[in-house]
Amino acid sequence: MTANDVVDRIKKNIGIPWNEKSYRDTFKVGDPNTEVKGIATTFMATLDLLQRAHAAGLNFVVTHEPTFWSDRDTVAELANDPIYKFKVDYCTRNNMVVWRYHDHIHSRPPDLIWVGLAHALGWQDRQVAGSFNRFTFPQTTLGALATEIQRRMSIRALRVVGDPSAKVSSAVVGMGYGMPRVTPDADVVIGGENPEAGAQFDDTEYILDAAYFGRNKGQIILGHAISEEPGMEDCANWLRTFVSEVPIQFIRSGEPFWSPKT
Amino acid sequence: MELSRRRFAQVAGTAALAGGRLAGQQTPLTAQQVIDRVGNAGSADGIKAGDPASVVSGIAITAMATMDVLARAVRENANLVVTLEPAFFGSTDAPLTNDPVYTAKQEFIRQNGIVIWRFGNHWRARKPDPFASGLARTFAWTKYQIDDDPSRYELPAITIGALVDDVARRLNARAGIRVVGDAQTQVRRVTLLPGSTPLPAMLKALPECDAVIAGETREWESVEYAQDTVASGQKKGLIMIGRVVSEEPGMNLCAEWMKTLVPEVPVRAIPAGDPYWRPTV
Repeated sequence: MTANDVVDRIKKNIGIPWNEKSYRDTFKVGDPNTEVKGIATTFMATLDLLQRAHAAGLNFVVTHEPTFWSDRDTVAELANDPIYKFKVDYCTRNNMVVWRYHDHIHSRPPDLIWVGLAHALGWQDRQVAGSFNRFTFPQTTLGALATEIQRRMSIRALRVVGDPSAKVSSAVVGMGYGMPRVTPDADVVIGGENPEAGAQFDDTEYILDAAYFGRNKGQIILGHAISEEPGMEDCANWLRTFVSEVPIQFIRSGEPFWSPKT
Repeated sequence: MELSRRRFAQVAGTAALAGGRLAGQQTPLTAQQVIDRVGNAGSADGIKAGDPASVVSGIAITAMATMDVLARAVRENANLVVTLEPAFFGSTDAPLTNDPVYTAKQEFIRQNGIVIWRFGNHWRARKPDPFASGLARTFAWTKYQIDDDPSRYELPAITIGALVDDVARRLNARAGIRVVGDAQTQVRRVTLLPGSTPLPAMLKALPECDAVIAGETREWESVEYAQDTVASGQKKGLIMIGRVVSEEPGMNLCAEWMKTLVPEVPVRAIPAGDPYWRPTV
């Protein structure tokens, strides 16, 4: 079974038409005709992840995010970069293949990345009827909610904006490079990663000012990896339903950061 | 957009003359007069709230004109607030309709006679980079600068852990600091990339130094590059301190510079501070 065979089987089983124009969901390194010994699914094909996948005997990596540090995995200007050379050489030497699975895992119903995040938050049953990204919960404080999420998702570098004592009972949630715009009907916005200022809408400044006026608003920034990694475990489970020839493992690339004590 | 050294000299010279005429000057200084004197070259720059004809009692300079900053400006009798980042929750400072926070902020500005002047593109274009210079001064690194580049420093050897603690203390940081790399790694050459750091800047900087201190970068770009650099066996690191926190020292320099251009009224820097906290568990 080659990497190409695995991808063909994904295309057959995904249940939506395959968009051949997607520049994301393509092979990033290695020969697609390489024989697959095992499959690792992960959030991001970092060098550390590739090293651990190789140690586990898995030579085909299915990654949600880029391998070479940009959305298009543009390598034209990296020819002389020492880390680029190191990473490519490592894959070549160890017969590894990397394929990105981003656009289609989001657009297939249900979006497995979203399923993974809702499960990681423990909020599968808290969804507002008729909405996929709005949740309600028994009234708590922003501080208690952030503490619960931090503990439950084991986050080292969680960031929170707003008054910790603000009473909150509803949230709108985004994932990845996505922070929902704060709205009047949600107390808390939760997302993966976002620019701190100067974007189309700056939640952070808005929440700071809402807190000044005593409004019960908060922002919880999980981290891009923290928000999207759980869904790649669901991806591994899904792959097992139609690939039985080789072992399949979800391997965490993990939260990239540590933070000093505050 | 970028003012040349000569143009800056001309502006400064004009200000000195204006200052010299002060004694006999009867007309109070308006916000528009300050802006005309300092310059307003950037595309996103300009007055975002308030009346340009308002008489200026004092000038407050900040990286982000949050309500906390505005309230402190009012307490300190400064009604012209100069901000690097937007005041109204988005890059264009566009009005929000039927939004209680937007409405309350505008009302506070009106009641207190504040004028908000966004001064971002213009100050960012200044050479040498005032944001890197300002950050280095906050860290007390000026004497360690390499050549004439205010973004590069060679420090006495220090571990990333100790460096992070020192940086956090000097910046009054809360939860905004995030680090890639081993806390035990010793570093000497540090590059400062304040603000929002695009990938090309990181691809250039990290191979030539031991650690980069950045404002904010993207997780799937510069953060992954730093992770891979470390995983390849290089003893390096990336310290992200947050965009606004990274920009504040550059706005302190802006306040010092503006003092020389507008000697008639008090000019002070007011920090917006680290917006982030995290539960202590």
